[in-house]
Amino acid sequence: MASIVVARFVVPVAHRTLRQILSKRSIAKIHNYARTLQIISPEHTQKRSYAEKQVFDRSKPHCNVGTIGHVDHGKTTLTAAITKVLSDQKLAQLRNYADIDNAPEEKARGITINVAHIEYQTEKRHYGHTDCPGHADYIKNMITGAAQMDGTILVVAATDGVMPQTREHLILAKQIGVKHIVVFINKVDAADKEMVELVEMEIRELLTEMGFEGDKIAVIAGSALCALEGKNPEIGSEAVLKLLDAIDNNIPTPIRELDKPFLLPIEHVYSIPGRGTVVTGRLERGVLKKGADCEFVGFSKVLKSTVTGVEMFHKILEEAQAGDQLGALVRSVKRDDIKRGMVMAKPGTVKGYDNIETQVYVLSKDEGGRSKPFTSFIQLQMFCRTWDCAAQVIVPDKEMVMPGEDSRLILKMFKPMVLEQGQRFTLRDGSQTLGTGVVTKTLPMLTDEERDSLLEGKKAREKKAAAGKK
Amino acid sequence: MIVLRNLTRYFHSSASCTAVEKSALASLRKKTGYTFANCKKALEMHHNDLNKAESWLKEQAQTLGWSKATKLGGRQTSQGLIGVYVDNNDGVLVEVNCETDFVARNQEFEDMVREATEACMKYAKSSPKSPNAVTKIGLDSEQFRALKTKDDKTLADKLALVIGSVGENATLKRAVCLKVNNDVSLEGYAHPSGKSRNNVLLGRLGGIVAIKSQNNSQENLEEIAKGLCQHVVGMAPKRIGNPEGEPAENKDEEDCLIFQEYLLEDGVKIKDFLEENQVEVVDFKRFECGETLEVVGDQPLELLETCQ
Ligand SMILES: Nc1nc2c(ncn2[C@@H]2O[C@H](COP(=O)(O)OP(=O)(O)OP(=O)(O)O)[C@@H](O)[C@H]2O)c(=O)[nH]1
Ligand SMILES: [Mg+2]
Repeated sequence: MASIVVARFVVPVAHRTLRQILSKRSIAKIHNYARTLQIISPEHTQKRSYAEKQVFDRSKPHCNVGTIGHVDHGKTTLTAAITKVLSDQKLAQLRNYADIDNAPEEKARGITINVAHIEYQTEKRHYGHTDCPGHADYIKNMITGAAQMDGTILVVAATDGVMPQTREHLILAKQIGVKHIVVFINKVDAADKEMVELVEMEIRELLTEMGFEGDKIAVIAGSALCALEGKNPEIGSEAVLKLLDAIDNNIPTPIRELDKPFLLPIEHVYSIPGRGTVVTGRLERGVLKKGADCEFVGFSKVLKSTVTGVEMFHKILEEAQAGDQLGALVRSVKRDDIKRGMVMAKPGTVKGYDNIETQVYVLSKDEGGRSKPFTSFIQLQMFCRTWDCAAQVIVPDKEMVMPGEDSRLILKMFKPMVLEQGQRFTLRDGSQTLGTGVVTKTLPMLTDEERDSLLEGKKAREKKAAAGKK
Repeated sequence: MIVLRNLTRYFHSSASCTAVEKSALASLRKKTGYTFANCKKALEMHHNDLNKAESWLKEQAQTLGWSKATKLGGRQTSQGLIGVYVDNNDGVLVEVNCETDFVARNQEFEDMVREATEACMKYAKSSPKSPNAVTKIGLDSEQFRALKTKDDKTLADKLALVIGSVGENATLKRAVCLKVNNDVSLEGYAHPSGKSRNNVLLGRLGGIVAIKSQNNSQENLEEIAKGLCQHVVGMAPKRIGNPEGEPAENKDEEDCLIFQEYLLEDGVKIKDFLEENQVEVVDFKRFECGETLEVVGDQPLELLETCQ
């Protein structure tokens, strides 16, 4: 037991020190350090250390959900009711209505978000549950990736039915990339059977109209209040359990990072005499095995190679897993061919892009952002994984972007870099962080002409535009 | 009455929902869009007579809206829309709030704000002008609510209908009218520059600038004015500023318009931009949705805000 505790403490420190040492490029020291470490905690190589906080039991698959719906239709009551019903089965901790309702503002990546995070589990899965007050908060939540929603529970009160703004709720769901919806018709204690049936019909109609599979979506009717107060179990706790069952079965478990093809953003490259080239970094996903074929992609280059060795703390491993800080020995590539910012990945799984559509939240002045708005053609530095690259910004939907706003932005990068949909990044203006974003779509590569035009000034652009009009 | 209602309810549930009744509630809801609870009540009161129930609902809409509005009255509204409308020598800026940004994006709410902006324009046009180059008339919530729409209802009545329909509190917060002399031009801007219909711009932010050209035959004046108005909306200056005055020490905290850097041209001060184009900013007004107001106070309608 004691050694495990030690390992927990030592490992993060080791990480940091390892990096420091690596950056000083004195490989010999690592050797010694690693040996000392082994003496302190012989078990530590068996333990995996993840960068994320270990807040829950990972033995069940994890899934993130959230509630969306009209004010007053009972989102908070339902959230509290879920914890109540599950706490009776010892699967959650009871959270009071007031607790959830007064959740303090959160900060994620420097952005203030109004959000309540609750966790609970069913027999099958572990859940993170998000409840936000407004559109903007859901968008911020998506952009920061604090809790990417894999599915959502749309709450509609049977007494009111679908409201004008329910349409806006569904537009939001689409915007933040939610594909799976489960509907809870609430307040059936105050409605009759006929009303509930009609509300269900209406919801299915609207869902279909909005491009969801309206006929197939699970719709559960019940009363969150009854469940919370422990009354009328047939519309109370039983309905909540039915809802949870529908969530279990209709919202697919997202693929774990561990199960994806391996990807290593390169932090440093070393040349070790007599052995070859070593690249280091934290394995972002997948499992990296000795002997695996790999590809280095970035800065318009693609190089093929093979991993001939995987090391962690100078111990040779058969394989490393997502989350591990590692060094990989690679065959027949020179140190100067690879550099920080490139990605080492399973061949054919990643690609460089230089033209992307993104959703970005621009920090307000209070959050440390700039005080003035920006317009199209501003040039910013984009930071992502271990690389950064200059990019020209196009604001497609409006004439300017104010601090504290979220916006769709097109980024035209000066060099193609490894990217993909769902990738998060930061935009900076000189030394100031301007905002955080997520890639929503990759666009066709820039032509040479387009790439050249990125460097043009305002005058040249105006001239061109004027010539185009004539 | 209560007995009767209970009786009907009993009748409903026990005598089972026949197909006829089902379609009654369904079609009433579809036709009127009122909440299920209200449709149900209407049918119960009129023994499932669809026509009677519908006309009752229509009659009651205003009352129901009002009772909902009263019930939700205390709830905070900090989202919403700014309406901007400029028509030759008159311009108006209004703020209408709601609880969530979902409602602010909704068509029904947008229509309401548009109507409020138009009503305000009508009021602006009918108001007297002072001899000054710019006449500003500020309306507080009470005055704003009392304005009449085309169909001779008050804006407060219209708002109650919207509250009844979206089930969220909403408020007519404030409005301002600008009237200018012939040698002054007005230009409006709203951000994000959403859809405009009938010349009313809607956004989360809005502004109007009044500018005067020293050169009568300036053809790009409208473009210059629009740029300046976008600047005002984006950079939030507090006053025009005096050319003899001192710029703020910290460039980022500059709140005098003329000392700010022009939003659309890097490195150019507004002052220099104005000189170069031979225009003068006479006045401006900017609204930001949900901003806390410096006290406007109880202002009699006749009181004219003077040029700053
Ligand atoms: N009759 C009845 N009332 C309910 C039920 N569920 C919630 N309510 C009531 O509806 C009101 C609103 O519930 P909330 O849970 O605060 O609604 P919400 O959707 O979280 O509202 P906001 O956070 O303001 O958007 C409260 O007064 C609840 O007691 C239900 O099943 N039946
Ligand atoms: Mg709530």
